[in-house]
Amino acid sequence: MGEVKKHDTPLMDDLKSGPWPSFVDDIYSYAERHKKQACFDILGQMELSYKNKETHWKHGGIVGVFGYGGGVIGRYSDQQEKFPAIWAFHTVRVNQPAAKWYHTSALRKLCDMWDHRGSGIMNLHGSTGDIILLGTVTEQLEYIFYDLGHQLKMDLGGSGSNLRTPECCMGMSRCEWSCIDTQDIVYELTMAFQDELHRPAFPYKFKIKVSGCPNDCVAAIARADFSVIGTWRDRIKIDQEAVRAYVGGELKPNAGAHSDRDWGPFDIKKEVIDLCPTKCMFWDEGQRKLYINDAECNRCMHCINVMPEALWPGDDRGAVILMGAKAPILEGAQLSTVIIPFMKLEPPYDNLKNLLYKVWDYWMEHGKNRERLGETIQRIGLNRFIVDVLGIKPIPQHVKEPRSNPYIFWKEEEVEGGWTRDVAEFRKRHPA
Amino acid sequence: MDKETLKQKIMEVFQKKASGAGKSKIYLKDLQREIPEANPRDIKNAANELVKEGKLEYFSTGSTVMYGLPGVGMGLEAGMEKPEE
Amino acid sequence: MSERPERPDPIYTQPYDPTLAEKLYNPQKPMENRITDIGPPHYWQFLPPVIQRNYGKWKSHEIIQPGVLKYKAHSGEVVYVVRCGTPRLETTDYVREICEIADKYCDGYVRWTTRNNVEFHVTDEEKLRALLEDLKSRKMPNGAYKFPIGGTGASVTNIVHTQGWIHCHTAAIDASGVVKAIMDELFDYFGSHKLPAQVRLALACCINMCGAVHCSDIAVVGIHRKPPLVEDERLDKVCEIPLVIASCPLGAIKPATVEVAGEKRKSVRVNVDRCMFCGNCYTMCPAMPISDGQGDGLALVVGGKVSNRITPPTFSKVVIPFIPNEPPRWPTAVKWIKKILEIYSQNARKYERVGDWIQRIGWEKFFELTDIPFTWHLIDDYRLAYDTYRTSVHFKFTSHVETVTDFE
Repeated sequence: MGEVKKHDTPLMDDLKSGPWPSFVDDIYSYAERHKKQACFDILGQMELSYKNKETHWKHGGIVGVFGYGGGVIGRYSDQQEKFPAIWAFHTVRVNQPAAKWYHTSALRKLCDMWDHRGSGIMNLHGSTGDIILLGTVTEQLEYIFYDLGHQLKMDLGGSGSNLRTPECCMGMSRCEWSCIDTQDIVYELTMAFQDELHRPAFPYKFKIKVSGCPNDCVAAIARADFSVIGTWRDRIKIDQEAVRAYVGGELKPNAGAHSDRDWGPFDIKKEVIDLCPTKCMFWDEGQRKLYINDAECNRCMHCINVMPEALWPGDDRGAVILMGAKAPILEGAQLSTVIIPFMKLEPPYDNLKNLLYKVWDYWMEHGKNRERLGETIQRIGLNRFIVDVLGIKPIPQHVKEPRSNPYIFWKEEEVEGGWTRDVAEFRKRHPA
Repeated sequence: MDKETLKQKIMEVFQKKASGAGKSKIYLKDLQREIPEANPRDIKNAANELVKEGKLEYFSTGSTVMYGLPGVGMGLEAGMEKPEE
Repeated sequence: MSERPERPDPIYTQPYDPTLAEKLYNPQKPMENRITDIGPPHYWQFLPPVIQRNYGKWKSHEIIQPGVLKYKAHSGEVVYVVRCGTPRLETTDYVREICEIADKYCDGYVRWTTRNNVEFHVTDEEKLRALLEDLKSRKMPNGAYKFPIGGTGASVTNIVHTQGWIHCHTAAIDASGVVKAIMDELFDYFGSHKLPAQVRLALACCINMCGAVHCSDIAVVGIHRKPPLVEDERLDKVCEIPLVIASCPLGAIKPATVEVAGEKRKSVRVNVDRCMFCGNCYTMCPAMPISDGQGDGLALVVGGKVSNRITPPTFSKVVIPFIPNEPPRWPTAVKWIKKILEIYSQNARKYERVGDWIQRIGWEKFFELTDIPFTWHLIDDYRLAYDTYRTSVHFKFTSHVETVTDFE
């Protein structure tokens, strides 16, 4: 390794100060220790971007490994003479273990590989959940892939019009509210759909995210074409003793989330009963007992969040399946909408896989290029998607409210006598 | 339709597109439109196998992935030549 | 259920062999020794034994101080979790330092959250205290904390963000630098529980929005404001023209034949009056660059959320349509974010998210309280715009309303 060339980066250097961890300090420390030109060059190019207020990356072509249509994002500098060590600076997406738990033996080995084959810069994690390895050249890609497969038992994640790497919240590994085994579901789906993940299959990207409860910590409803959100349909479990402890001030509301401000003593009426969106709760001061009319509950989680020592989701657990979320490009942002209000999810989750196949079969045939599932549903109508495509019975849970216009696309078979009419007969009754 | 016939049909679509309209890259969707008698998922599987065999290659400018004939039209790293050392 | 490997795969304790791949991969026979479609490592092997034992059997949790959670299992076992912010953009040395800490206190187990925090798990209070002291003592060469503790409860937790100028070709703004500037300024809110509810911040460096920015309490979105350039001499060589035309959501791109150096060439023309600067054409065509140092900057959106708690998930709304790029610290953007956060903090009720607070007081009050100027840009004119118009006489009289007497 020869001498490294350093660049003058006063603007980047400004980001070394302040209390929040500084990526500039980190990258420079690493660059010095490992004598990595790519790290000096990347900060050099960042400095130029800070000066010009424009990105200096070229529009990347696809690069990848043999037989895969995703997992690597090609990236090339438009300042190749100034920063030759980052002339190519491709990203490798590596499929993360479910809920992002690691053992250091695996992480260290991954780091050793990345020191050797790439810039040493990474993201833990990318927006979709993958481990992101930032910065390598085309010639290294196959070797990285072989290292991942042979030495790390890891595989690439999704990109392009593939299934994107499925992601989940921490689920049952630590959370008492998780109504479904989010990690196992994500693992099972990821393994079942390896082909869809690695090779282009669809009109556009397709994301699956799984949250264990309606708090939705992985933002499934906002980000995933296919959102699985755990819920329950029986009664909220209550420990009345613990409720009294909250009321009596012995337990801290909301697990202590408000500890640095004096909000006054806990007031169950004001903080729980009155904030319940369905007003289905009652605190009997005389009996010192909490009543919940579970049939009216919409499972928003507020009361459970406020009193985690006293309330839990019920035992009849499953998931709501929603579909169609996406970012604003192009028709505007969409949240996922309810398709199946309650689905039992037990391994090997064949019901979930069958539903996905049904959706994909339709979308692959009828979706337009670069059209997300949510846009396809919009185009054909949610009613048609539910009834004609999925064969599901339409129910009020599918909508916030029924339509306000009566412009209904009646089907001919629904109308007595059909649409074929005789003009002559009509005119006999109604002379022109 | 058996897989080998389907693969052959796919290759014919590519050759026709490349020689006629001069279109060197096509989407999976367009491929499915050209072979309406086959199931979309079968087409996907066959096209991906052709890539594995080296008869087709993937192409993308960062969005939806396309398929192309190796060496025809824009290359994978068009305009991305490595500077002289 | 998938088979659960009890311990981390022994392959991870074998040292990395930098020469192995060269021996295995043969460019002439690319299928030789190729391992494909093995998927991610099984999650179970990476769960600490205490987590494995109590998986799905947790009873409750408590935040014993900002950044420190205590989980209790039905079995009676307890696990303490320390949550720390990370820059997300980091080197292998930084990750190795996390490994060193995890080895020292946590038997080598460690976890990341969806919002780029790292979490360390211990089972006794003695170790917890030592771990906290250790984490607080670790500083970067210029004084920044390496592992700030916080991000729990009614705090500003770590910012979900995209790549920005470190890696993206469509970025209108940087990401990591803006995040650093914001978190430096809001640092106290990360490590404390003094807000009315949790505040989720996010940043997307262009409107492709690789993160869930559009449902955040406060988010930064990079935007372009100049129509794309059209490189006639290059376009037909590097772009599929029909795809470029189809990419425009407003049909503003039309095919054109142009003369370049006396030669007829196929290209496109952009109807600039219809351009909404989304950059979708550039995604499809490298010969239509859209970035511009003067044109680009950021918008601030507020009031969104993903949780179903009390109120349904909601989109964030644009409150500041444009703030120019001001590297390295984006002071105007940071100033407004802090102002919105503090006005919210002073005015919202306990448990009220930013959007819930605004719904209660009304957007007109929000603009009055924050002094954010309301301009025509904030009135929607894209799809479903009508849904945002005021179709009632329910509004509050704020300083915005001028009594009309004469109207010429």
